[in-house]
Amino acid sequence: MNGVGARMRSIPTWEITLFVALVALGFLIAAQVRSEMPRVQYTSQERAPLIQTVTDLQAQQKALKAQILDLRSRITKAETGTQGSDAIARQLNNALFQARLSAGLTALQGSGLVVQLEDALQVSQSAGGADLLVTGRDVRTVVEELWLAGAEAVAVNDERVVSTTSIIDIGGSLLVNSAYLAPPYQVKAVGPANLYAQLAASASWVDFVASRAGKNGIRLAIAEPADLVVPAYAGSVTIRYAQPPASPAPSANP
Amino acid sequence: MRSPRSQIALAIVALLLGFLVVTQVRSQAGGTGLEDRSAQDLTLLVANVSTRNDQLRGEVADLGRQLESIVAAQARGDTSAGQLRADLVRIRIWSGVDAAEGQGLRVVLRGPATAKVLADLLNELRNAGAEAIAVGGVRVVPATIAGGAPGAVSVEDTLLEDPLEVVAIGNAATMTGTLTRAGGLVAQELATNPGLGIEVTPADRLLVPATARDLAPRVAKPRL
Repeated sequence: MNGVGARMRSIPTWEITLFVALVALGFLIAAQVRSEMPRVQYTSQERAPLIQTVTDLQAQQKALKAQILDLRSRITKAETGTQGSDAIARQLNNALFQARLSAGLTALQGSGLVVQLEDALQVSQSAGGADLLVTGRDVRTVVEELWLAGAEAVAVNDERVVSTTSIIDIGGSLLVNSAYLAPPYQVKAVGPANLYAQLAASASWVDFVASRAGKNGIRLAIAEPADLVVPAYAGSVTIRYAQPPASPAPSANP
Repeated sequence: MRSPRSQIALAIVALLLGFLVVTQVRSQAGGTGLEDRSAQDLTLLVANVSTRNDQLRGEVADLGRQLESIVAAQARGDTSAGQLRADLVRIRIWSGVDAAEGQGLRVVLRGPATAKVLADLLNELRNAGAEAIAVGGVRVVPATIAGGAPGAVSVEDTLLEDPLEVVAIGNAATMTGTLTRAGGLVAQELATNPGLGIEVTPADRLLVPATARDLAPRVAKPRL
């Protein structure tokens, strides 16, 4: 031990510094090469302004959604304080509260699951590489399985899944409601305490996991937080073509 | 560290180290997923997000008018029950709690329609702006999932018979264009499902029933 200690003391400080720096250098080179590997770098000159346009549009969308949520909140408050017959106003406000809850216009909180999907590590643009990417169909499958397991509200990267939600592929990314989403995709669901048990017992879920995670290497992770918030839908609820039927049609819920 | 050579070596390593740290941090921070998209994908993205933003602007304008109307009614001392009722009707139709009527599309699937074909069709109709959809007389809501083997597809425990009919209320021209364009959903499904037939017919007046589901959450609590 004394020999080793004596030898260590004989190594100049600058050599130790250089050694540490070289180790860090090696690590960073490896990390950089690895982060570049899965992706194809396009070099066309028109991409930079397009990326800037998309970024600007996303920022505008974020502001518009915040405005929508704020206006809905103010409308709800104004309606709650509405004048007129107290009984009628109270009844209408209660009905509106329930309608908004059922429509996904109110955030919901409770126990639930978060399923995260990420592209496989060995993604490449070689033949068959598409199987290694998370697609809209994968995310739709997870959403469907969560509904089947008993979820009461679902969101993809905080985009609430509602009656008009579509999940479509756009060149390796997704468009959900109005939002452009990039991986990793987090599908949040609130529901009963046995949500995970129900999901895990589903044969179609087991097949999906075996095929996409097992065979294709898609990275799939599940968390079971005790308390989870699924945000309210922040998009358009305008209907232009659907009207109440001319002749009264039966309604399921009062 | 005494010799100039070692000083130069350490300076070069430090320079490289700094460059790589910056590059790595920037590549991690810029994780918008846009950097590796082609110009074609980015153009498609600009068109889609731009259209959706226009819809959101329309919603902001509608909500602004709605708020003004309520506030004005309250200032006059009037009842705004009419506004509340209109809001209620709209939200209940939009969510599927109430039936709806209007122009749209009738899509008929003949032959070996699978649950996947049906799920893809519903997704594409929503993307094309469908406001209310029914499959085999069953209203489609977020938790409505198509399942079952080919030829025995069901939704909401209702077995769908061949031919399978999907009705969607919305802009008939837009929805028809989206489904039937070259390389669109109809062309893709016909190419990959031999024996399947798909008819798309616009209609001036269609009826979509209310859902039989109770859409109100039972366990989760509203977060106001």
